[in-house]
Amino acid sequence: MTLSTMLSTMAIGMLRTFGVFSLTLIGSLPLGMVVALLKKSRFAVVRGFISAYISIIRGTPLMLQLLVWYFGPFYLFGMNIGGWRFPAVILGFVLNYAAYFAEIYRGGIESMPVGQYEAAEVLGYTHTQTFMRIILPQVIKRIMPSITNEVITLVKDTSLAFTLAYQEVFSLAKQISASQTSFMPFVIAGVFYFVANYAVEFAMSRIEKALDYYK
Amino acid sequence: MLDRRDFLKGSAFLFAAPAIFGLAGCGSSSGSEAAAVTWDGKTFKHGFDLDYRPYSYLDDNGEIGGFDVELAQALCAMNGWEYVSVPFNWDAKDAELTAGSCDCIWSGFTINGREDDYLWSNPYSDNTQMIMVKADSGIATLDDLAGKKVGVQTATSAYDLLNDEEGQKALADTFASLEVYDTYTTAITDLKAGAVEALAIDVTRANEAIANDSSLVLLGEALGSEQYGIGFRKSDTELRDLVNAGLEALAADGTVATIAAKYPEIEEYITLGK
Repeated sequence: MTLSTMLSTMAIGMLRTFGVFSLTLIGSLPLGMVVALLKKSRFAVVRGFISAYISIIRGTPLMLQLLVWYFGPFYLFGMNIGGWRFPAVILGFVLNYAAYFAEIYRGGIESMPVGQYEAAEVLGYTHTQTFMRIILPQVIKRIMPSITNEVITLVKDTSLAFTLAYQEVFSLAKQISASQTSFMPFVIAGVFYFVANYAVEFAMSRIEKALDYYK
Repeated sequence: MLDRRDFLKGSAFLFAAPAIFGLAGCGSSSGSEAAAVTWDGKTFKHGFDLDYRPYSYLDDNGEIGGFDVELAQALCAMNGWEYVSVPFNWDAKDAELTAGSCDCIWSGFTINGREDDYLWSNPYSDNTQMIMVKADSGIATLDDLAGKKVGVQTATSAYDLLNDEEGQKALADTFASLEVYDTYTTAITDLKAGAVEALAIDVTRANEAIANDSSLVLLGEALGSEQYGIGFRKSDTELRDLVNAGLEALAADGTVATIAAKYPEIEEYITLGK
């Protein structure tokens, strides 16, 4: 296999990896916020459910969760899982990352001094206005470094999709390395992950700077 | 030890327990009774290990190839089925088959020892488990393996053989250790690098490795011998019969011989049509 064939074969895997990465972010960033807010719900049942969800997701390996999402529908309901591979990968990643993002959001929200809520109330802001216009913008600025951390971890975690034999860049690297008895595919995969993370770092630092409008 | 399927079932229940209790609470009767998954009659979902040269692997053009893949594609072309490739992780093959993501396991798959676990096609290839060593290792017989580190790939017939009381367990007990690998590719690299001194391996896979590196040799004595077949779900008798008939037709019209000729390292072991 020539290097260019190897690269073009792995490029398909890189696209798939990018697909998992972006769909996970699109799903889990908003879902995390919903989870964080539900954890502060007035209803004890909702709070309990959310706490259990976060505990289970954070307390078990993502690899095992992926296996459960993929094979679970068959073992529980006897469903035919043909074609379920990719949805299961995305479902597993989104629900996993949402739990982590939720805790980051919660940390940010709870770090806001109570005086700000009191001041907003005195000025006549409603609860929603207070959250959307005063609290949330500050929270976002404050949690950006933690979010960047998670996003970088996600780039590398996408390789766990190989658990479900999803043919992303790492699975392909293993297979090509096997069939060609070459270490080159791993080098290519390594460079790919590094470059991807470098891009994430760059983009996130630009966003942080853009948000830093009071300095 | 806990078998993977039980493990998966257990973890699935752990996660879905709230959902199940919820359903039970609503008086719904749907539960864990698995309906039998069967073949749809149109698409042929070929489940295989993408790291098993020369039966199924990524070829030099970065496309799936190998004897089993080409034969399956020829079979589909003849029967007018849509061919769908389902590369899976070898240790999850049973779950993939039972749950219907593939219709068969066809990837240099050993019948012996698994006779009752699947619905089998007629055997199409012979296979022998051998010991592969470096030519300068000084190991010449199975007895020489005493006190040596020996490698094997997990969930393969060579692995089963070395762990079977009626197989070669007694021999395996003389080893210094039995190193279990995810793939033979890693194992072969370790053999060349000296991390293990011998590998228990299928003869076809070994011949393929020896073709790439002439410093490797096989011992004269075989560990065991067996046959390859295609494993189906037990409910898929119709599919199995169609595949058996199809393979005979492909053997009769020379297609099998043509495909086999592309894989000289296994050609002599293919029994279909002989």
